[in-house]
Amino acid sequence: MQISPELIGIAAVVAVLLWLVAAFNKLVVQRTRVKNAWAEIDVQLKRRHDLIPNLVEAARGYMQHERSTLEAVTQARTQALAAGNNLQARIGAESLLTAALGKFFAVAENYPQLRAVESVQLLQEQLTSTENRIAYARQFYNDEVMNYNAAQSTFPRNLFAGLFGFSPSTMFAAADADRANVQVKV
Amino acid sequence: MSTFAPSSTLERPASPPDRESFFDAQRRNRRAAWRLSAVCVLSAAVMGIPLALTITPLLYAVGLLAADLINLVSPLPPAFWQQSEKAARFGFVALGWLLQHKPADPRVLVIGSAVLLLPGTILSLFLWLGMSTLFRRGGVGGALLALKAREPNQNDLKELRLADVVQEMAIAAGLPAPRVMLVDAPGANVAAIGSSPADARLVVSRRMLDELSRDELEGALAHSIASIGNGDLRIAFQVVAIFETCGVLLALVNSPFGSQSRRTLWRILRYAFANSGAGQDAAKEADAVAGILTRSATLDADDIDHFFDTTAEKKSMLRSIRNFLLFPIVFTNFAIKLSLWFFSFAVLGPSVALLWRTRQYLADASAVQLTRNPEGLADALQKLTDHGGAIPGSGWAAHLFLISPTGNAGTAANTFTPQQTEVLAKAWLASAPQTATAMPNTGPADFQSMLKEAAATYRAAFSGDAQATARIRALKQSISSLDPSLAAAIPDPADFAAARKGDAAAMVRLQALRRHLALPAQTSSRPQSQGDADQSSGISSLSFVSFHPSLKRRLKRLNRMGAHRNLEPADSKMWIVATVISLIFAPFLLLAVGLLLLLIGVMILSSLAFLTVWLAFIHQIFVFVAHH
Repeated sequence: MQISPELIGIAAVVAVLLWLVAAFNKLVVQRTRVKNAWAEIDVQLKRRHDLIPNLVEAARGYMQHERSTLEAVTQARTQALAAGNNLQARIGAESLLTAALGKFFAVAENYPQLRAVESVQLLQEQLTSTENRIAYARQFYNDEVMNYNAAQSTFPRNLFAGLFGFSPSTMFAAADADRANVQVKV
Repeated sequence: MSTFAPSSTLERPASPPDRESFFDAQRRNRRAAWRLSAVCVLSAAVMGIPLALTITPLLYAVGLLAADLINLVSPLPPAFWQQSEKAARFGFVALGWLLQHKPADPRVLVIGSAVLLLPGTILSLFLWLGMSTLFRRGGVGGALLALKAREPNQNDLKELRLADVVQEMAIAAGLPAPRVMLVDAPGANVAAIGSSPADARLVVSRRMLDELSRDELEGALAHSIASIGNGDLRIAFQVVAIFETCGVLLALVNSPFGSQSRRTLWRILRYAFANSGAGQDAAKEADAVAGILTRSATLDADDIDHFFDTTAEKKSMLRSIRNFLLFPIVFTNFAIKLSLWFFSFAVLGPSVALLWRTRQYLADASAVQLTRNPEGLADALQKLTDHGGAIPGSGWAAHLFLISPTGNAGTAANTFTPQQTEVLAKAWLASAPQTATAMPNTGPADFQSMLKEAAATYRAAFSGDAQATARIRALKQSISSLDPSLAAAIPDPADFAAARKGDAAAMVRLQALRRHLALPAQTSSRPQSQGDADQSSGISSLSFVSFHPSLKRRLKRLNRMGAHRNLEPADSKMWIVATVISLIFAPFLLLAVGLLLLLIGVMILSSLAFLTVWLAFIHQIFVFVAHH
């Protein structure tokens, strides 16, 4: 079989097409992972929302003089639930909830009898774990975003990435949360 | 005029000069792992050639005998005999080319080498595939049974916290959380066991929950979960499958001679064709089979010695005839065993061990990525090594643990609970002769130095020191008043005098207590597998390089990623002495290895010669019988 120039040309075009398909698929997979990671953060935030009412109820009996702290926590939670899909408002509300919870635990240190209550202990452990999980989910999301951004902006993929609608994602930076100044309505 | 030389304390750099990020560390380790996989494949090929050369003739012998027997009943077509004669001729040409450099036609050479090498290779590949499938079916369940793993206790806060930490790490890794199982063992250790990320299990020792803080627990668990995410589970299985294949080959070759090999083969067959892979008995069987096979690839007491026991009473004519007839096969058998042992211990085993070590380094770097905290993992590794990671029942799964689980299970740090440690420490300080200085504060780290002090006092008391004996007496009295159950752990001062006079019973009692109080392992670069193994070390005995990297090397790599561990600088004097000694011994070692290889080569060739002569002889007998 003679190897003619046409044959080489066709083989080269086929090879490039195959590479294009492979690269496109890889970008799709990475973008899906980014979306997945964002959903995971959502799951953990929801978990926190569900745990808070129980904690407030369990602590209310022991912390009668700290009504403002408990109210702040409940309000922050309501606002986080109300923020819905607005990304900026959501990030701001969640970070305020974190701050309110932090204040609550700091105040709870002054009530040693609270620590002995088993339900409070369990809830505290679960809330700590949830905070950690949120942090790790954000970390994982950022790692995936980094991989995806690197993949779609390095040569030669950047040549066709824009064409097919792959745009860089934004990382979940803590600074954004602090900058958003959402007021808690008391 | 002296130049201004800044003092070293002011000029200390902020980070070590060879600082690397964990991403770079991961990339480096992944590349190293690929390189080592290639080395492993190469070692397997190198090991395969002498094996194939010895097994193939046996296969041909069996085939020829079968053909001859069938020929007696119904004659085979002459074309068959012609083809086999041609194939044999090709094989001889290839051998001639190899040994005597006789020129040969390349096509004939290729066919000849195929004739010589293919059957053995195909058999080994087939066995390897079979063993890895069988093992994947029941290996996990079997290991969990052997370890006596249990479900976590829902009422225990620490075990709940463990489940939370596992979830957190799984989220950080983007993996489904593995199921957690607990082991009540004297050592503190963790392993990831499973056949795929979906069905992975984390086996955690209960002592680890007591010893480690939350950060350290996170680091240790992150390592295991990271290794699951990196796909180490499949590699771990392949590691065991490789050694199992060697074991099965050995059993196959040994089977005409040894009833034990026959029994092993029968067990494997029975397990392979059993109805369902599920169920506790099947899992136990799989684990037992795996244990036997990985242990049997060592050069220990043969069935052959048993077979040829000429001092046995029943020495009959029939036996002598049988021995004479089967002599070439015995010889081949020995050649196979020797080459199998040598190559697996010195070539394949170390390659696989080095590959596994690189995966451990990769898992360390990935753990740092997950927790972003190299200190946690470094502290955890240090604490686990100090405490000792002995987990009885680890068997073939030993390489899956974070640190080596085959240490001395009787170290004092393992046998005393934290409360007992406190009582002992208090009593020890109270029994000290009154000095002018104030009592130092007792922390957990001081317990080790107190153990050393106690061991020194025991030695002094044994040799007759009155003050030491008095101190031990006081110690025993205070312990008996504080915690009577601990009193048995302290030797009786009267025993010292009696043992000195020669009382055997007292000596035995003191020996037992001395072992009880053995000092825990130091953080040296000594490979863990050299420690006193109370149990069979399974897979670690299959290579002279251990499967677990030393603590010092792991800490060094974690330091490069940002941890701040104080490592003792390498003792340069010891290095010089070690280098000189190895330079002196290296030629002898090389000579020994060369001689061994020569011996193996000679044995393979003579076994080939024996088998050929023997086969020709028997074939002629059959031809003679067939013509009449």
